[in-house]
Amino acid sequence: MPAPSTPHAVPVGPAPGGRGWRIGGWGLIALLPLFLCAAYLVPFLGVANWSITLPEPGLGQYLRVATDPGVHSVIWRTIRICAIVTALAVMLAYLLTYVWIHGNRTMRIIAEICIIVPFWISVLTRAFGWLVVLYNRGILNTWLQDLGIISQPLTLVRNDVGVVIGMVHFLVPFAVFPIASVMRGLDGRVLMAARGMGASRLRTFWEVFVPMTMPGIFGSAVIVFVFSLGFFVTPALLGGGRAIMIAEYVYVQIFQASNWGLAAALSVTMIVLVSALLLALMRITRVEKLVR
Amino acid sequence: MNNAFQKDQAALLLEQVEKGRISRRRFTQAIAAMFAVPAGLGATMSFAQAKQLVLVNWGGDAMTAYDEAYGKPFQEETGIRVVEDGTGPTEGALRAQAQSGNVTWDVVDADPFSAIALGKEGVVQPIDYTIVDKSKFREGFGWEHATSAYFFSFVIAYNATKYDTPPASLADFFDVEKFPGNRAMYKWGVSSWEAALLADGVARDALYPLDLERAHKKIEAFKEHVSVFWGGGAELQNALLTGEADMAIAWNTRAKVVEQDTGGDVKYIWDDGLLQPASFAVMANNPGGTEPAMQLLAAMQVPERQLVMFEMLGQGPANPAADALIAEEDKRHNCVDPENMAKQIPLDMEWYAENYGAALDAYLAIISA
Repeated sequence: MPAPSTPHAVPVGPAPGGRGWRIGGWGLIALLPLFLCAAYLVPFLGVANWSITLPEPGLGQYLRVATDPGVHSVIWRTIRICAIVTALAVMLAYLLTYVWIHGNRTMRIIAEICIIVPFWISVLTRAFGWLVVLYNRGILNTWLQDLGIISQPLTLVRNDVGVVIGMVHFLVPFAVFPIASVMRGLDGRVLMAARGMGASRLRTFWEVFVPMTMPGIFGSAVIVFVFSLGFFVTPALLGGGRAIMIAEYVYVQIFQASNWGLAAALSVTMIVLVSALLLALMRITRVEKLVR
Repeated sequence: MNNAFQKDQAALLLEQVEKGRISRRRFTQAIAAMFAVPAGLGATMSFAQAKQLVLVNWGGDAMTAYDEAYGKPFQEETGIRVVEDGTGPTEGALRAQAQSGNVTWDVVDADPFSAIALGKEGVVQPIDYTIVDKSKFREGFGWEHATSAYFFSFVIAYNATKYDTPPASLADFFDVEKFPGNRAMYKWGVSSWEAALLADGVARDALYPLDLERAHKKIEAFKEHVSVFWGGGAELQNALLTGEADMAIAWNTRAKVVEQDTGGDVKYIWDDGLLQPASFAVMANNPGGTEPAMQLLAAMQVPERQLVMFEMLGQGPANPAADALIAEEDKRHNCVDPENMAKQIPLDMEWYAENYGAALDAYLAIISA
């Protein structure tokens, strides 16, 4: 893996000619917001416009988002599944990252494979793969039954459980990088100091290491949560119609029920919720620690 | 409404060709047979002013079939080129095109209930039944704004190794005492409501307008036995092949393939099948003009051309004259063969035009609760 680019690795601060460097940097960065405006903001305004004009002008669709129990159940399921997925994915990613950075050579290689290989496999293939493993006559159930551990097959898929498993599998690699960047930047001398002061390994881990990597955990949780809100293929396949989440519901409104207004109102609501969530998190954690 | 079936046809054809079940050679033969038909139609046609017509369907390999079956012979006869467009004429796309004022499509593979709704809005134009011969359609199929194009059906497919006596009705499908095991039903509601009501004792001719409340109550009580609510053909086929479901309400096209793939371990029946008609519509203010578009629709009524679509995609022919052309051993797979059709119930497109969106919302709320 290439060396992580920490602030120490790039020239910062007012060096001779530093001012010019900064303007150049901003100039380059400015392209991104311009691109984002053209590619996202303009279409988004169009969607926002649908939400208050289809099928007739007014706030009727938002009223429905606010009051329809069917819509609420979809939103709650989405938030519930995403929260569970986030907790599990971040936890697994934390352990994986720890091994990746602090393990011996063999363990590091195994961890790297666990992180990188999933990136090469399409989300569709992974969902079907999990179906083969988890369905009632699948590999796992057959195996458990042969060993006599269970007598009836477990219902592991075509429900929320299957969706959570599939989504965690997809999202763990994404959760690794923010944590890794913080873990790498950690000053090992602090840990040595804790050990030197007589703290046990476990205590050093829980009371020094974990709190110091908290920004990474937060960053990772935000990325995973926001990412998981938009999941479509995995819930559609592993949920078996039973775990309809918001992205699929929007799809249903556009392509099946022909109710574009509701789909637009839901999309706008989601964007507002996610933005509010990000702002709140920015306040309680220092952003620059997450993005370095 | 869903068009999932139309999209599935392309996937299915590709699979069949890959498995060598339909050879490229057979494909060519079918085409050749079709060209041998004396093109009596061409003679009666006024040679239209248009140079081309855009026929919009659902893409993939199915486009080849449409082109071979309908596009090429029409060009032979009239000189008008038929351009295949696989964009997928969703109701939303059709509406958007009409609203933009820049109509680029002529003939679209839109569901009858879409055409009914879009006809009221002036997005598609009325069919000119002086050019298209309504008597060549099965009775009751052919709408003011859409022609009858082809048929498919939701049938009961079941694992024959599991049950000594096969199921005979939708009541059996819902009877887990008599037929224990897991079920698969369609995720997008169509067929599920009718199935639940018929199983609940509603008479065939009293089915519409659907009593959604009663249907949903039945489905609610039954859903624990449904292991898969399938959304597409591949998913359905998978559920039946792996035994994830012992019985399914399945598209007849996929049920046939599973029957072949399992050597008859999975079978399907036509009893209580729910027959869905498909249709073509013509955009209002279409660039190719009304008359040529209507002539294309008329040319699609030729039985030999519909036979190609049956052989390639399993589409039940709109023109009953095509039934007789189907090979004897394939007749039992034709969803509109008189013998099979008598056992089935056609879905009411007028009802779907009015009620589908709201009904689907309620259905999804129940199955995903």
